[in-house]
Amino acid sequence: APSEKGIIINLDNGNLCVLSAQCKSSCCHRRSATSLARCAPKSAETHKCSAKVRSLYGSYYFCPCEDGLKCDTDWSIGGSITNTNFGVCVDPNAPKSSAA
Amino acid sequence: DEVCYENMGCFTDDRPWAGTAERPVARLPWSPERIAARYLLYTPQNKEDFQQISTDKDVIASSNYNPSFKTRFILHGFIDKGDEHWLSNMCKLMLSVEDVNCICVDWKKGSQTLYTQAASNIRVLGAEIAYMISIFKDHFNQGPENVHVIGHSLGAHCAAEVGRRTPGLSRITALDPAEPYFQGCPELVRLDPSDAKFVDVIHSDALPFLPYLGFGMSQAVGHIDFYPNGGDHMPGCDKNIISTIVDLDGIWEGTRDFVACNHLRSYKYYSDSIQNPEGFVGYPCNDNKMFQNGQCFPCPNSDCPLMGHYADTFKLPSGGQKLKFFLNTGDARPFDRYRYKVTVTIDGSRTVTGYMKVALYGSQSNTRQYEVHSGFLKPGKTYDVFIDTDNDVGDIIYVKFIWNNNMINPLLPKFGATKILVTRGHDRRDLVSRGSHVTSNVLKNIVLPPCSHSEAKS
Repeated sequence: APSEKGIIINLDNGNLCVLSAQCKSSCCHRRSATSLARCAPKSAETHKCSAKVRSLYGSYYFCPCEDGLKCDTDWSIGGSITNTNFGVCVDPNAPKSSAA
Repeated sequence: DEVCYENMGCFTDDRPWAGTAERPVARLPWSPERIAARYLLYTPQNKEDFQQISTDKDVIASSNYNPSFKTRFILHGFIDKGDEHWLSNMCKLMLSVEDVNCICVDWKKGSQTLYTQAASNIRVLGAEIAYMISIFKDHFNQGPENVHVIGHSLGAHCAAEVGRRTPGLSRITALDPAEPYFQGCPELVRLDPSDAKFVDVIHSDALPFLPYLGFGMSQAVGHIDFYPNGGDHMPGCDKNIISTIVDLDGIWEGTRDFVACNHLRSYKYYSDSIQNPEGFVGYPCNDNKMFQNGQCFPCPNSDCPLMGHYADTFKLPSGGQKLKFFLNTGDARPFDRYRYKVTVTIDGSRTVTGYMKVALYGSQSNTRQYEVHSGFLKPGKTYDVFIDTDNDVGDIIYVKFIWNNNMINPLLPKFGATKILVTRGHDRRDLVSRGSHVTSNVLKNIVLPPCSHSEAKS
């Protein structure tokens, strides 16, 4: 049976959220600046991502990467403040050739 | 007593139509004029805006109706209405993959009333549609073997009435056929396999109406019956109230989901199947528990039916009926899923507690990471898991394995997958990969490309 379903914390994917700390997936994802944010799964390899910020504050335009992956971001100037630094999840260990 | 309508025949409320345990209240159906059904035709010439047709051959002749195209009717259910966008969306999706006369039937005047009255009105509506099909045959030379009726909830039993009156009707698709006043009734009253050459059913709200308010039937009533996610609780329907009502598609869609989320999923799965046929493979099984713990896997001789639009591509064993199939779907659109069995044999310096995940990599795309096991990771032990990935990566080239125990490991234990076997559900393609041995707790371990595709038969 589904584990206990919270309104505030421990939220499954698809539930409305404000802070990523509320979500089981620890990613509160917002499609655009005006849209409501919902808990969403972390990004898989080759998918877009936000550089993971240690404190689970606020929500992300793109979720951080799954385990073992790094968000290869092209750092924009205002990046860290407005959380707009996006990239693609890459496997840091993948030998460059096979990753192509 | 009885009532008769021109071209429709007579309708009684004697047994078994009423006065039985399942149908206590007797209601005579309304006249066609009072139900005022509207027939909204979409064709390749008019994909965006419907043409309204009727049971008048001249009106049909002057429309874009083309007898050389297959004709598909779509019927909504109780309280619902025909110009609700899910019907026209379904037509537009169909027109994106085939040439078809797609007719949305709007009988909201007959459905937005007491349930017992609506359940009786579908008899007249079914007679009217059967009459229209007879016009197609007599005046346009399109036989019933080219007509397909899709009905949701009460609309499914209306489709049954059409089929009962139209021998040789090609196909009926029932999307969560309504339970109250139909389940447990004689075949005359409800949908049953005799109503068309091919009857496929999707059950998405099969819990009993009392006390669980499950609107759909659990009883198998077609040639093939699909029970996605077991047929009772649909993933994504257990969101908290606020998240349900404030839906991605707006408050109205959210309110519909709040009232009947499971019940409405059936037509959403059908719509999604039109452009993602491979994503709804049904596995033959006796019950959901057996399916979920992997007993009905993979597809016997790679021959499983596809839930939804392409269900009629399945070669029905002769005389086969009420065959049950199970599958898992996504929790939000797109709902398609692709089932694999993953078996991992691990090796390492010592037992640790933690979790391990795998991700599948194909030529163009890769899946998310799926947890194989969490708890004790014992060297030499084999763990297996069934996963339903949300994209089809095609032929798998390699698998990535990762483990983690959320602890700092001063001894830096080494762990690795010595062997990973991946079996694809729908066509039993096996892939055996030899793992490279050394890894540390977080870093990814790229399993070497497979030695051979079907070396080991599990």
